[in-house]
Amino acid sequence: MMAAVGAPEVISQLESAAKVLMAPPSMVSTEQRQHAEHIFLSFRKSKSPFGVCKHILETSKVDYVLFQAATAIMEAVVREWVLLEKNSIESLRTFLLTYVLQRPNLQKYVREQILLAVAVIVKRGSLDKSINCKSIFHEVSQLISSGNPTVQTLACSILTALLSEFSSSNKTSNIGLSMEFHGSCKRVFQEDDLRQIFVLTMEVLQEFSRRENLNAQMSSVFQRYLALANQVLSWNFLPPNLGRHYIAVFEATQNVMLKPTESWREALLDNRVMDLFFTVHRKIREDSDMAQDSLQCLAQLASMHGPIFPDETAQVSYLAHMLEGLLSMINGIEIEDSEAVGISNIISNLITTFPRSVLTALPSELFSSFINCLTLLTCSFGRSAALEEVLDKDDMVYMEAYDKLLESWLTLVQEDEHFPRGCFVQPAVQVFNSYIQCHLAAPDGTRNLTANGVASHDEEEINELQEDDRELFSDQLASIGMLGRIAAEHCIPLLTSLLEDRVTRLHGQLQRHQQHLMASSAPDSVDRKVLDDLYEDIHWLILVSGYLLADDPQGETPLIPSEVMEYSIKHSTEVDINTTLQILGSPGEKATSIPGCNRTDSVIRLLSAVLRTSEVESRATRASLIELLSPQMGKDIVWFLRRWAKTYLLVDEKLYSQISMPLSTAFGADTEGAQWIVGYLLEKVINNLSVWSSEPELANDTVELLVTLVEKRERANIVVQCENWWNLAKQFASRSPPLHLLSSPIQRTLMKALVLGGFAHMDSDTKQQYWAEVLHPLQQRFLNLINQENFAQICQEEAVKQEIVATLEALCGIAEATQIDNVGSLFSFLMDFLSSCIGLMEVYQNSPETVNLIIEVFVEVAHKQICYLGETKSMKLYEVCLTLLQVYSKNNLGRKRLDVAAEEDQYQDLLLIMELLTNLLSKEFIDFSDTDEVFRGQEQSTGAGRTVSAADVVLFGVNIVLPLMSQDLLKFPSLCNQYYKLITFICEIFPEKIPQLPEELFKSLMFSLELGMTSMSSEISQLCLEALSPLAEQCAKTQEKDTPLFIATRHFLKLVFDMLVLQKHNTEMTVAAGEALYTLVCLHQAEYSELVESLLSSQRDAVIYQRLADAFNTLTASSTPPTMDRKQKVAFLKSLEEFVANVGGLLCVK
Amino acid sequence: MADPDLDFTSGDAGASETYPQQCSALRKNGFVVLKGRPCKIVEMSTSKTGKHGHAKVHLVGIDIFTNKKYEDICPSTHNMDVPNIKRNDYQLVDINEGFLSLMLDNGDVREDLRVPDGDLGKEIETKHGAGEDMMVGTFFFFFFFFFFFFPWFKLNLVYEHCSVAFLTEGSNITGPLKYFVQN
Repeated sequence: MMAAVGAPEVISQLESAAKVLMAPPSMVSTEQRQHAEHIFLSFRKSKSPFGVCKHILETSKVDYVLFQAATAIMEAVVREWVLLEKNSIESLRTFLLTYVLQRPNLQKYVREQILLAVAVIVKRGSLDKSINCKSIFHEVSQLISSGNPTVQTLACSILTALLSEFSSSNKTSNIGLSMEFHGSCKRVFQEDDLRQIFVLTMEVLQEFSRRENLNAQMSSVFQRYLALANQVLSWNFLPPNLGRHYIAVFEATQNVMLKPTESWREALLDNRVMDLFFTVHRKIREDSDMAQDSLQCLAQLASMHGPIFPDETAQVSYLAHMLEGLLSMINGIEIEDSEAVGISNIISNLITTFPRSVLTALPSELFSSFINCLTLLTCSFGRSAALEEVLDKDDMVYMEAYDKLLESWLTLVQEDEHFPRGCFVQPAVQVFNSYIQCHLAAPDGTRNLTANGVASHDEEEINELQEDDRELFSDQLASIGMLGRIAAEHCIPLLTSLLEDRVTRLHGQLQRHQQHLMASSAPDSVDRKVLDDLYEDIHWLILVSGYLLADDPQGETPLIPSEVMEYSIKHSTEVDINTTLQILGSPGEKATSIPGCNRTDSVIRLLSAVLRTSEVESRATRASLIELLSPQMGKDIVWFLRRWAKTYLLVDEKLYSQISMPLSTAFGADTEGAQWIVGYLLEKVINNLSVWSSEPELANDTVELLVTLVEKRERANIVVQCENWWNLAKQFASRSPPLHLLSSPIQRTLMKALVLGGFAHMDSDTKQQYWAEVLHPLQQRFLNLINQENFAQICQEEAVKQEIVATLEALCGIAEATQIDNVGSLFSFLMDFLSSCIGLMEVYQNSPETVNLIIEVFVEVAHKQICYLGETKSMKLYEVCLTLLQVYSKNNLGRKRLDVAAEEDQYQDLLLIMELLTNLLSKEFIDFSDTDEVFRGQEQSTGAGRTVSAADVVLFGVNIVLPLMSQDLLKFPSLCNQYYKLITFICEIFPEKIPQLPEELFKSLMFSLELGMTSMSSEISQLCLEALSPLAEQCAKTQEKDTPLFIATRHFLKLVFDMLVLQKHNTEMTVAAGEALYTLVCLHQAEYSELVESLLSSQRDAVIYQRLADAFNTLTASSTPPTMDRKQKVAFLKSLEEFVANVGGLLCVK
Repeated sequence: MADPDLDFTSGDAGASETYPQQCSALRKNGFVVLKGRPCKIVEMSTSKTGKHGHAKVHLVGIDIFTNKKYEDICPSTHNMDVPNIKRNDYQLVDINEGFLSLMLDNGDVREDLRVPDGDLGKEIETKHGAGEDMMVGTFFFFFFFFFFFFPWFKLNLVYEHCSVAFLTEGSNITGPLKYFVQN
């Protein structure tokens, strides 16, 4: 043991360092601590530390030192693997195992670390087949059969360590192995050893489940094996032939479904396995920790699919057995809190995994008892979830379980054509009713009631970050809405009558308050409780109605759900259309007071109920009762109306195979109903905007409704016929109250809506008049203002500034309204302003908030319009953006500001500028323009002869921005990301432009790349590496030597070489760095050889020298001479991975 | 005017010092009077009491003179005072015993402002000194942000918001920028 020479000194040094590290912070200085850390770090890096480590393990009494020794062994074994004799590795492994066996009292973390070292040795060994893995299983099974709980626990720890070492990919980079190696190790392991572990585990569980009384020690062993079983069943089985890149993606998936390979059939497709887990669960279900594991095992079994099933029959009988076991388990017990999530996971996995055909092939009695059980369970979890909310519990287990079950319902009923007709109606009614009941106040419902029926009601502070219920519970609501459609016959009338009742009560309540107010001058001591209860009821009823009646798909045309359509059609013969329209058209009257109200279309009646709510709200605002109203209810109303309008308003008969007469009569194109409702909605919007300007969210939902009304041409055509629309436009253009009280984002969206409306169908006079009322006042006011002779003097006056700011906001809104068919006119309009805006940049250079807004206008215009612009127009935009940047740069270079907000302001400016440049650059890959078709006939000639690309502008822009980008500013993560994204973009898309850059700019660009590669986050570093290949390829293309770019790439060769070979890097970067290295090597072959030579010559150890030299030879063998050829590049990358696995760690040895 | 510090009514050229604005129309980076002090709004958020409550606005502002932080919470329907803030650019003419001589566009000179403390002050002095040495060919502006808000600033000689930009004659105004100049 020559390495053990001086071991006592090493031990005492390490022990005193450990003492420092373990000392409380007040006892040691930072320097002492760092020094101690350094001692351990260099100890772990020391060469062949095996002798010393063994000595430490045998003699030291300090746990932390033992831990470090185990770590050192693990790291050194991997590092020096190729240099070690096979039998010395073997004996090291035996030593470690025996060591642990002989010391049952080791600290847990020390033991786990030693076992981890064993597992790493086994895994590394499976690469060159030098270690026989089988022997370890033999040893372990002997340990298990010993019957000694301590030894059995140890056996379990060994298996767990092996399992996690072979399963998890995030350990891979720690031992410098390639993903491919990891993948093949895992494949071999899962076919054989993993199954062996599973069989061993099952034997232990079997044994324990038979015993009557388990003492504490035994039950802890039991628990460990149960957890191990769970780990095996949650194994992410690698399918054969999965590519290297996919493995990483694959490994990242959470919630693994059990998809074992065929070879597992015998071990897993055995009813006794499933029965064992049901038995185990029954035995331990009162222990919440263990119950979680046993239920998780069952959930994994419930997710089993893939080649393990020989045919569908096998699947059916497996599922049947599973359901029987599950039903008998659930029916016999009162479910514990800790079981709820587990049980819902089992059900959810069953329903998602097994195909419909298997579900329908089940014996019908079994299937219906399953559905019954699911129904009862859902309702019961729902009630418990509501209780949890009342008690404000931190851990919402029932809510989680309820969510899972509702999600499963959605999966089930979405494909209900496979099942017997109507088989889900009754369950849907029950689940729907219980949901409504939980969300309504007493006496109809149980909201806010604790288990013993006491109402709790507290007013908590809710901040703006908290999501609205419609988002927070969107999944629940979508499921309940779907179930409501399945049972439309019951649910739609139920919602209608509940809502009508609440609205009537709300109306009465508000009236009483008003009378009270008029009767006495004393302030009304309003009991908010009654009102709030009504508001909360209405809130939930509207949300459920919205989700029931319509979907909100992103980017596609929403259709009326077929269930709703069928329901309306089915009853259309009993319906009196006129009464229906009367109910719809008289939101101010009580629905039940209209004669014949029972013969109305229920779908329309539900909408009318919401309109009645809206009407009560509007009337209350007119009666100055705003204080009493709920902004939340206001939001719900406009949210519902928007969702409804997207789907039902001007229903397009062509999209449906059958259409309901009442619906098409009331809302179809060219109907009075549709016109009436558009007018009503518009009035609502106008009313809301004037009374609710102080409620940002409500105002926002309101303008969004307005946008919905005008963004589709058909709807807009009706909207612009309304006088109210014109009034709104005029009012907004004149900036008179109350619209100017709205916050700026709302004003922007309002402007957008007004512009969109202007593209509706109107005769040319009307259209001209419209624009004269909407856009021209904006232009006129603006021009009048800035053309005043004394503008320079008055520009800082608050009224002037407000006018300017309002104009800028409006411009952003106009840009947002851009669509392909209006871009022509909007662009010309906005261009006039952009030029003037640059003048404003000068005038307001001392007003950072205005400067910021000006840049934002440019960002918006570029963002929304550049992709549609033809060459001439693009040129104009490029030019004006360039001027903006020049002015900005002139005004901000060398400027010093003394106030606290200075850095923040500049950060925001630069972020916007980067955004602007990226937007301009996007023209190069997203271009919808059709050779100036939009502008045909306009000034074709001026653009001829000039070829300025986006790249020119962007590079120039970068040149202006670069001097302003300090390293401090790069500390803002979003700014840094945006910056590097931009420059990588440039290198990738326009490598040919890089050599033509002005010297200074070129230098700073290269410096930025180097900085990004070496001292930024790995994400940025990767971006920079990606930028290198195109640059090197560019050099190779031009064949010119001694250009600055050529010289720069030579420098990068060294950087990348060092990065890959000498520094510890993470495996994710190997690909990006490898590609960059390869292209750089192709370009600078001589320099590469020099680098390799000098690295080799610095090695004194002959073995390492040879090892390295061989590795370098193999690395380039497949690609000699290196050429820029895809095939060779791929081959190089492959060898590089082996290279890194073989010698990557070697060079790090001190 | 017993207490000049609290006087809001008199001030520069008869313009009103503050004007009311509904809370919801305020914006981040804008200005507001918090606890009697003119502040730049650095944070603005809303909240409500109970799900059906009305919005309240939470404002965090930084005093533009003292950099002190002020907070306020009020109903969003509330009208807040917004200070009328005026910024002037002066040309630096001279520095006398720690006081700046500044010239307005109309030729008026004010000499009641002290050279700022810290690096900025030193920089102004150095540049100014260098400017004197190089009378020919070099010429620089000293842009000075300044707030006519409180009448007492003259007593305290407070200036918090400074900005310096150095321009070399004839440079920078090239290319497309001409467009701007012509306009």
